[in-house]
Amino acid sequence: MSTIKEYLSEDHSRCDELFANMEDAVANDINTAKEAYELFAGETERHFQMEERVMFLEFETKTGMTQGPTAMMRQEHTQMRALIKEMGEAIDAKDKDKFFGNSETLMILMQQHNMKEEQMLYTMAQQHLSAESDRIVDMMKSMIVE
Amino acid sequence: MDLNGLSADQAPPISAPIRFFLTAPIFGVIAGLLILLCDPQMLISRYSIESIVITHAITIGFLGFVMLGALTQMLPVLAGVKISKIDTVAKVAHIFLVFGTLFMIFGLLEDHSKLILASSVFLGIGFLALIVPMLLALSKVVHVTASVRAMITSLVFAFLIVLMGMHLLASYGTDKFSSLHVLLANVHSVWAIFGFAGVLIIGVSFHVLPMFYVAPRFKPFCKQKVVWLISFGLLLWLVLNIFLESYSTVAKIWVALFFWAFATTVFLKLYRRRRPISDVTVWYWRTAAIFMTLGTFAWAINDYYDSRYIVIVSILIGGGFIFSIMSGMLYKIVPFLVWFHLNAKGYMSIPTMNDMIDKRLAKTQFILFLISLVGFVVSFFIPSILPIFAITFIVSMLILEYNVIAPVLIYRKIIKTKPEFDMSAFNISVEGIE
Repeated sequence: MSTIKEYLSEDHSRCDELFANMEDAVANDINTAKEAYELFAGETERHFQMEERVMFLEFETKTGMTQGPTAMMRQEHTQMRALIKEMGEAIDAKDKDKFFGNSETLMILMQQHNMKEEQMLYTMAQQHLSAESDRIVDMMKSMIVE
Repeated sequence: MDLNGLSADQAPPISAPIRFFLTAPIFGVIAGLLILLCDPQMLISRYSIESIVITHAITIGFLGFVMLGALTQMLPVLAGVKISKIDTVAKVAHIFLVFGTLFMIFGLLEDHSKLILASSVFLGIGFLALIVPMLLALSKVVHVTASVRAMITSLVFAFLIVLMGMHLLASYGTDKFSSLHVLLANVHSVWAIFGFAGVLIIGVSFHVLPMFYVAPRFKPFCKQKVVWLISFGLLLWLVLNIFLESYSTVAKIWVALFFWAFATTVFLKLYRRRRPISDVTVWYWRTAAIFMTLGTFAWAINDYYDSRYIVIVSILIGGGFIFSIMSGMLYKIVPFLVWFHLNAKGYMSIPTMNDMIDKRLAKTQFILFLISLVGFVVSFFIPSILPIFAITFIVSMLILEYNVIAPVLIYRKIIKTKPEFDMSAFNISVEGIE
């Protein structure tokens, strides 16, 4: 079983891959890109929820830090959700420029965010939650997206 | 565990990096004017005062400013460290560096000893005011990644070259040159290019290329060892230069080999990148890789021609490699910072990053820069045509300045309006939880 850090970091790479597929699809033909977009948007939303509804809660309960790093990460999720929504609207409107403008911004924001999580938050989470690591990874895997 | 990188105020205020980015192209223009006004014959020797002045207008004024600005922004993100009062530190360092660079340029050109001595002190204070706190902050990082290690190594080289540079400048100021002057000048320049700038670029690219272009990741060997191998080469080069000068080419080839390998790796990784986007930043990375390849070869074989072509080597590596990467980075980082800071303040309807800089202007700027680079190399053999390329370079720098200002003006315009969404509720203090 992978650790919390490994599991969520690998999920980042998977979302990056889906992100690249989506951009490829839009570059080829924006009319047929919706499916690749839905896949990326869906999996990224799933990743956010695995953190917000499972890992962050466990972390906050264990450490008592409800207003700390997890609050910051939640705020960045809000920023990214807004961008992803605008990208979907751009695909509906067949507006390539608007799509790539937003995807470029999302890319940098997402990577800064991932780096902070992988280098700091996940490392901290793994330290504080090592005993419950397997259970938490299981819960994240079986979580149903709302 | 250091939480600073995750705290609500993790990012330094936008003014800290931006003030450096706005100044850099102005020094590019000054360097261009100096090239235009000087006697082209003087630039064939690296030791002429004109060559030294123009080189530093570019290396300190442009490259140094961009690197320091970028470091203030990258430290919290790549290393999770925060420098206290970074805004004030950046402001003070910036003022000292601007005056220090100007004093150096005019002091050396006018042979004004007090001005030269003042420049030595000003540049020393300006650089060290940022380098020392950054090194102290980085020394506390618990989770040392390849990029953090590269940043520390690069800043140690920076620290040493600043001290050497201060000494060298003071020698001009007092007109007293030690027997080690030439050796020190050599070490200063080689360590600045390969140790400070080169290692920093390599360290940052471990993250930037896979992240921003979804290019294949760097191999663990590359990430773990290359910085050490280069540092070893640079130290070996110093030792050989002092004790066994005739063998110093060996160390040179050693260092050149790794930079050549890096340039090739960058080129291949960009070729295999997953993102279809090809913008000005990608062209700049490619240009950098090609010029670095040419530059390392030219540097390695230059010894067999009594260093006759060192000026060409400097243009290829300093201009073609480092300058290109710094320019490309400005095109990404400035629009992102504007977007990021506005968004974090609750402004939702803001232009996307791609709408902030006119793509045609960016392309024109890139092409003019490229023409200038090639022109500078050709002018080494035909000095009379140098003024043409001084002009293309000046124009490219003016456009670059405009392209950097444009997003900043968007920021200033939007920040005066009322945010759509009040994010202040999210700005939660995380003090006391370490």
